[in-house]
Formats: sequence, C-alpha cells, structure tokens
Amino acid sequence: MKHTETELLQIKNSISEMWVLVLSQLRNAKTALVTSDSDLARVVISLEKRVNAFELKIDSDCENYIALFSPVAIDLRLVLSILKINKTLERIGDFAEGIARFVLQTENMGTHEELLKLVRIDEMAGHVETMLEKTLNAFTEENSRQAGMVFSIDNEVDTIYRDDYELLAKYVVEHPADAFYVLLLATVLRKFERTGDHCNNLMEEIVFYLDAKVLKHQKKGKQE
Amino acid sequence: MNKNFNGKRASQSVMFFLFRLMSYMVVGILFCIIGFIVIRGLGVINWEFLTTAPEDGMTKGGIFPAIVGTFYLVVGSMLVAFPIGVMSGIYMSEYASNKHIKRVIRVMTNNLGGIPSIVFGLFGMALFVNKLKFGDSIIAGSFTLGLLALPLIIRVTEEALQAIPDSFRQGSLALGATKLQTIRKVVLPAAFPNIMTGLILSIGRVSGETAPILFTAAAYFLPNLPNSVFNQVMALPYHLYVIATSGTDLEATRPMAFGTALVLIIIVLLMNLIANFIRRKYSK
Amino acid sequence: MKLEANNINFYYGDFQALKNINMTIEQNTVTAFIGPSGCGKSTFLRLFNRMNDLIPDTHLTGECLIGGQNIYDKNITVDELRKKVGMVFQKPNPFPKSIFENVAYGLRVNGVRDKKEIADTVEKSLRQAALWEEVKDKLKKSAYELSGGQQQRLCIARALAISPSVILMDEPASALDPISTSKIEELIFELKNSYTVVIVTHNMQQAARVSDKTGFFMLGELIEFDDTKKIFLNPQKEQTQNYITGRFG
Repeated sequence: MKHTETELLQIKNSISEMWVLVLSQLRNAKTALVTSDSDLARVVISLEKRVNAFELKIDSDCENYIALFSPVAIDLRLVLSILKINKTLERIGDFAEGIARFVLQTENMGTHEELLKLVRIDEMAGHVETMLEKTLNAFTEENSRQAGMVFSIDNEVDTIYRDDYELLAKYVVEHPADAFYVLLLATVLRKFERTGDHCNNLMEEIVFYLDAKVLKHQKKGKQE
Repeated sequence: MNKNFNGKRASQSVMFFLFRLMSYMVVGILFCIIGFIVIRGLGVINWEFLTTAPEDGMTKGGIFPAIVGTFYLVVGSMLVAFPIGVMSGIYMSEYASNKHIKRVIRVMTNNLGGIPSIVFGLFGMALFVNKLKFGDSIIAGSFTLGLLALPLIIRVTEEALQAIPDSFRQGSLALGATKLQTIRKVVLPAAFPNIMTGLILSIGRVSGETAPILFTAAAYFLPNLPNSVFNQVMALPYHLYVIATSGTDLEATRPMAFGTALVLIIIVLLMNLIANFIRRKYSK
Repeated sequence: MKLEANNINFYYGDFQALKNINMTIEQNTVTAFIGPSGCGKSTFLRLFNRMNDLIPDTHLTGECLIGGQNIYDKNITVDELRKKVGMVFQKPNPFPKSIFENVAYGLRVNGVRDKKEIADTVEKSLRQAALWEEVKDKLKKSAYELSGGQQQRLCIARALAISPSVILMDEPASALDPISTSKIEELIFELKNSYTVVIVTHNMQQAARVSDKTGFFMLGELIEFDDTKKIFLNPQKEQTQNYITGRFG
C-alpha cells in the first residue's frame, strides 16, 4: 500500500476508535441513568476527556493530510466527511457526559422509575444507540445501504420525544414537588433526541463520502 | 498586389529548380565517373588480374603486389595515426579546458588538413627517408600517410566524444568513478562507432593518395612481395599513375590502368559503405 | 549520515548563487528543497557531492560537513566522497549498456571483481529500487529498452549499488508521467529507512508528499527551513506562503 493510503487509513482507524468510544459513552450514560449508577456516571464524565483528545488529534491529522497530500475524489470526500463526523461525534460525546452529569445531579432526588418508564427513556436511548452503531458499521464497512433504516429510526425517536412533552406537562401538574426533576429530565430527553439528529448527520456524511450524494435538508424517511 | 505575388512565386520556383538541378548534377557527375571506369575496367578484372604480378612491361599479368602494398601502407598508416589521433581527440574533448590552447590546437589541426598532400610527401622524404634513415620503405610511407590522416581522425574523435551527452559523464562521476575510468568505460565505448567511422573514412582517403608515397615508399615495379617494413612496395594509386603515363607501350597498358582504377574505386567505396553501415547500425 | 552546511556562499564567476546558507539535515530523513527556478536549490544540492567542481570558474566559502567531516577539505578525494553520496539526476541517464551492467558499473569502477558479489548486489539494488520484478528476465537487454520511469528507477538502483549513506536527487521525477512519478515518490519514502535523502523538486506537492523537512529557497537565500507539515500548513515567512500558495510574483 502506498504511504499516502496508509496515512489516510490511520485517520480512518482513529475516527472509528473514537466512534466506538462515543458509543460506549452513550451506552454507559444510559445505563447509569436507568440504574441510577453514580459510579458509572463518573466514569463517563472522566472518559469525556479522551473523546476530546480524539477530536483534537483527528482535526490536526486531517489538516496535515490535506496540506501534504492534496487529496482528490473519494479521498477528499473521506477527509471532508471525517472532519464533520469528528465534530458530530464530539457533540454526541458531550451529550453522553451531560446525561451522566444529570445522574449525579439527581443523585439525592430519590428514584423516579415510574416516570422514566412513562417517558420510554429506555426505548428512546436504545433507538439512538442502534442508530449510532449502524452509522459506525456503515462507515467501517463502507456501505450506505442502511441509511434509510437510520433515518426511519430517527422518526420514531422524534415521535417518542413529542409525546414525552405532553406526558411531562401532565406529570408536573400531578406532582408539583418534582417540577425541578422534570425540567432536568426534559433536557436529558432533548439530548437523546439531538443525538438521533446527529446520527442522521453522520449517515449523511457517510453517504456523501461513499456515494457523493448530498442528502442534507431533504425529507428523510422517504428513502428506500 | 496579385501581380507582385505571382512574380515572387515565379522567381521562387526558378531558384528552387536551379537548386535541384545542381544537386542532381553532382549525383550525375559521380555516376558518369564511376560508369566510365566500370565500363572500361570491368573487362580486365578477373582472378588472375587480382592475384598475379605485372608481366611483359605491365601489359599483362595483374596488380597483386600493388594491392598488397596498399594494404600494408593503409595498416601502417593507421597504426601510426589512430593512437595519436584518438588520444589528441580525447585530450581536446575531455581534458583541454583552456579555450585559447584549444583554439590554437584546432586551428593547427585544420591547417594540417589543408596542406597539399605532395608537401606531406616532400616532408616525409626529408624526415623519415633521409633524416631518420628509413629509406624508401613501408615504414616511411606509413608515417607520411599517417600524418596526412591525423587531422581527420582527431576531428572525428573529438566530434564523436562531444556528441556523447554530459549526463553520461556526470552519471559516472557521481558513482565515484575517476575521470579516466569515466572516459574509458562510458565515454569511449559510446563514441566508438563514430570513431570507427572516422577511421574507415580515413582509410579510404589514405588508400587513394599518391603524392605522399611518391618519394617515401612506392616502387615502380617489384616482382616480389616485401618481407620487411624497410622494403619498398608497389601501391595502387602510384601503379595507376605509372601505367597511365610512363609505360613502354601506353596503348597496351591502358586497359590495365582502368582495371587498377576500378579496383581502387571499389576499395574506397567499400570503405565508405562500411563506415555508413557502422554509423547506421549504432546510431539506432 | 548527518549533513551540515555552515555559512555557505557560492559564486559562479561574479554571480553569487548561494548567500550565507546554514542548514542541518538529520540522518534517515527525507529533506526537500523547493523554490522558483534559479533560486540556487540545485546548486546547493550539488555541493554535497561536489558536482559543482565540474563547472569552471566557481568559488565556495563556508563549511560543508558530512558526518562531521568537511568534504571540501584538502585530504578528501572527490571520487571517495561520491561513493558515499549517491546522486540521481533530472533526466534518467542510464549508460548505453545492459541493465545489469548499469547497476554493476559503480561496483566495477570501485574495484569489486567477485562475480557473485556483483550479481548479488545488482539484484539487491534492483529490488530496493522496486524494479527487480520488472527486469529480472531481461538483465542482459539494453537499458534503453526500459520506459522512462523504469530507467529512472534503474538509475536509483545504480546509485544504491555502491551503498552510499546519502542520496541526492535533482528533480528525479520531473521528466516522468504521473504513474512513474508516484512509483518514484513511493520509493523515496521507503529509502529514508536506510539512507539520508535530499531531493530538489519543482513540484510542491511532491515535496509535501515525500519529505520530512522542507527548505524554501529564493534568489540564493534559504528563506525557511522547517518540518514539511509546518511549511505547508503554517509557514512562518510571507515569501514561503506566497510561493506555496501560488501567489508568488
């Protein structure tokens, strides 16, 4: 293999590693949330530094790659999409950290298992995880066939999220004492929903890299 | 304007026609000479003519001693001229860095080439025959002919070496080869075909010269072949001169003269053909 | 081996081609020299194997060290120096000999007689130059039967055969097509594992692709010398920036 290819492959491997790390961050944050596991939440928070380190390294690798090797065609699309994927993954990492911080923040507010079940947080988080995992697989296997699947899962996440706001509104009226908790929970739900959107963006970047198609700002869910 | 244009065109085509005519004429003259000699001389040439000595006041027999003599003189002169000429050529092309010295040597060599051949003969007689006491001999003739061929060989060698791209020399030097190694192993082998061409052309030149051997080597008639470099020899061009001008019976020797001329021309043309062949074979 | 240039000034007659150049080139790296035509980069390169000695009426001041030794010292013989410092030229210049003899040439002129040693070294060098597979069945054929790119790799093999520690390349790919160019570049990248490589190039992308360090020359001066990444991402001098971005002049 030529050394220019080797360099590119290394960047690709770095971003895949980062992807795996972010995925596990998201999983652990969810587990910490539903099991109220403060220790696991602390692990997630401390690992966020590694996600940030990945972001910086991949950014500078991409800069150097463009400066030194002037990539074109699929190589150029790959580097450009990696730059955006990098930023998106870092965001998702931030969300995972935010969810973990929620766990620590609400440590002493008692358990709200009923409420969590009510807003289907487990299901929502599961969907988002699936999306992130599918985008990772699509990237490493260089296969964009599951793009439509990812987009339709996001539609479900959105549906759950919309329903959740009505549920939370009712819940606050019934349990005014939990209003603060409910407000915080709303931000967590929002983070999951945003993660779903970011996974959509990831998928769009992969499609751009592999098929040179721009899917941004089009109606999703109608794919395939 | 149109008229003017036509006038220009007309004068162009006239001149063009003239140029073409002249160059065709050169070819025509060459063919006339060769044709004339061939027609008159071909009848005489046979195996006996090429392999026996002249007999009966040169009206009969052949020209074998003259062929052998010319052969000896050519070989001898090349033995003299080739090493000197090639070495000077190498010096001129590869070593001489002072422009002035180079120019002086080049002018001198060219002048040497311009000296009439009879003067070479006279000089050869004075130096080799009398001063060095070689006598009228193959060796004296060889030296004299060698001097005559020298300018041509020097120039051909120098040009052949100059034609070798500098990139070969640099490539060789960059590999840690010395200058001498570079010349011996890269430059000379590459220039060799062209140098050979020059050598053969000068053989052609030398084998046809009469004047330089007139006073230094050539004999009027020798029944036997020479057995030492200090012997006199017969030579084709001189033999031709002799039987064409000073025989006892000029009418009877006339056909022999044309036969001799034909052999001489064939030798010279053959040399030129070989030279061309070598050049073409290696310049691919 | 490490190359060092200290306060180098070089003149062609009255014309000063290099102006007070200082540079250190580390062992086992690829260093590229870039700059506009006539900026002195080739002249500077040729100082290191004393090829400039061949040009009459030149003059040098300053020190040029290879492995700590001044190569312009009186007790240095030029042909010994050139065995240590190989060179590849702009246009492929194989000798009018067979492929085998081209590579063997350097060994022969350096007194190697052993046939087996020569054959082994020729094969090794051709392999190193990534040419062996293409020529192993026609070693006796003339070098001119090879394509331009193959000829250039042959010239690289020829230089490698005498095991130099430094290899100088003067625009080694400028006369070649893109495929051959990329093969040569790949080769240069490989070579730095065993040699110190210095390359002059007109092609900035080439400098970026193959080198660790880049020196930018202009009008006989070394304007900037730094890590290639730095030169191409964040050059310190405005002249460098203008040149590599194509805004020069």
